[in-house]
Amino acid sequence: MTARNQSLIELDGIRKSFGGNEVLKGISLNVAKGEAVCIIGPSGSGKSTILRCINGLIPIDEGFVRVGKHRVHEIRHERGMRPLRRQVAMVFQQYNLFPHRTALENVMMAPVQVLKHDPGEVRERAIALMAKVRLAGKESSYPGELSGGQQQRVAIARALAMQPEIILFDEVTAALDPETVKDVLTTIRELVEEGMTCLLVTHEMRFAREVADRVCFTDHGLIVESAPPAALFDTPQDPRTREFLSQVL
Amino acid sequence: MLTDTRYQRRKRLALLAILGAAIAWIAFDALLGGSAEWARVISRLPLLLTGSGPAWSIQGGFAFNVLMGMLSMAIATLLGLLMGIALLARNAWLRRGAFMIMNFLRNSPWIVLLFAMLYLLPHRVELFGTTLSFSPFFKAVVGLSLPTAANFAEIIRGAVGSVHSGQWESARSLGYGTAQIYRQVILPQALRRMIPGWMNLYALLMIATALATVTGVQEVVTLLRTTLAMESETALVYFYLTVLLMFFLYCYPIALLARRLENRTKGDAI
Ligand SMILES: Nc1ncnc2c1ncn2[C@@H]1O[C@H](COP(=O)(O)OP(=O)(O)OP(=O)(O)O)[C@@H](O)[C@H]1O
Ligand SMILES: [Mg+2]
Repeated sequence: MTARNQSLIELDGIRKSFGGNEVLKGISLNVAKGEAVCIIGPSGSGKSTILRCINGLIPIDEGFVRVGKHRVHEIRHERGMRPLRRQVAMVFQQYNLFPHRTALENVMMAPVQVLKHDPGEVRERAIALMAKVRLAGKESSYPGELSGGQQQRVAIARALAMQPEIILFDEVTAALDPETVKDVLTTIRELVEEGMTCLLVTHEMRFAREVADRVCFTDHGLIVESAPPAALFDTPQDPRTREFLSQVL
Repeated sequence: MLTDTRYQRRKRLALLAILGAAIAWIAFDALLGGSAEWARVISRLPLLLTGSGPAWSIQGGFAFNVLMGMLSMAIATLLGLLMGIALLARNAWLRRGAFMIMNFLRNSPWIVLLFAMLYLLPHRVELFGTTLSFSPFFKAVVGLSLPTAANFAEIIRGAVGSVHSGQWESARSLGYGTAQIYRQVILPQALRRMIPGWMNLYALLMIATALATVTGVQEVVTLLRTTLAMESETALVYFYLTVLLMFFLYCYPIALLARRLENRTKGDAI
């Protein structure tokens, strides 16, 4: 289990097709520990698929995926994915909270049921995390009783409760009202500042420029350009990047 | 919302009008001599309900329909659960087999299945020296529970499938295994959505118990066709009306409750 380089996440030449539709055409990307990398790009360019390959939700057709000491492309069984999933948490655009459990139970469930941590200790941790995402007092609300922004922050607390090394964010503000976007972004910014390794797919260009160490622009299943935010936003090299930025900025 | 409440009000008015018309018709009919026929029906009511004349012991009648319905439903729930699990199994052969059986049973006319039971199940079997005899009641229960089980399996599959795929994704990304995802995430949500369908199915099954008359079981329709067959033709009209009313009064509240539960689960998040 030797790492080919020092990165925490290493993707090399990954390809993925759905039926005859080739969605990823050779993605290579490295993310170092503590780094925050943003992925931007047009809809359908494969951004979500990249994230799902990293935590093994989608098996890849070709290429190399390593997260820490796990060689993800070599894991064949769902059971083998478990140690990886403890290390990598994911937050989704549609929150995907469990609607039949309260906010606090959502945060506590996986650490107790999957990691088999002591419920009392998890409960304390969960309450602290709810406070951290500024939702103290909402512990016993059901997801259906919370606003989108609040649900998304519960989802972030749920991810954090697993004590992951990496968090993948997939357009977590895309389904939110403009007012609540800010709260969620603030929460993410704090995580990045604390040194959490984050890979974020986002449409929030201002936010990407502020928090990212590096921004990758994807188009048609390829990473077209990858650079620090100032360089990518101010002096994009590729014409496709320029065109995309002219449309969204 | 507005059109919705207006629709509800109209519906209620229409129902009241129908009820009023029915009462008016009964009153009018009673004046024309129908009351004698009603008296006949009332004197035979214990028979219709329990299958035994004046004494209130259960030998058949509508009570048998209720009993058959409950027993069949219990068996169907168990069988349907097994079939539903097979439909969701990872093993493709098991899944395909269950799928074929389910579709075969779901698309067979119930009355044909009941007739089939009549000829497929023997009258008696010898097992380890003891003789088991299959009564018409037993055959009816088996015949009714088979299609009901298939329908319940489909309800289970539908409810499980209706849970948003994001629930699977997020549970998997939290490290849950498949069995754990079913137990902790999918089934608790699916169960709520199954209950209305299960209740509707029971109401449907209850109505179908009338078909069991073909097995010769002494249920209410059989009584109408045998013991009560010598009543006058006009009286029989009243008897049949009464039986229709019995089924309606038993099944309609169940359907109403199911619909109310269904509306409530619709409001669930996701
Ligand atoms: N499970 C799947 N089955 C079939 N096709 C899929 C599947 N998942 C994604 N795709 C296809 O892959 C392509 C890329 O999808 P992906 O979700 O990765 O894009 P995206 O960049 O995240 O887009 P968006 O910004 O709209 O979220 C799309 O054309 C999509 O239709
Ligand atoms: Mg996406």
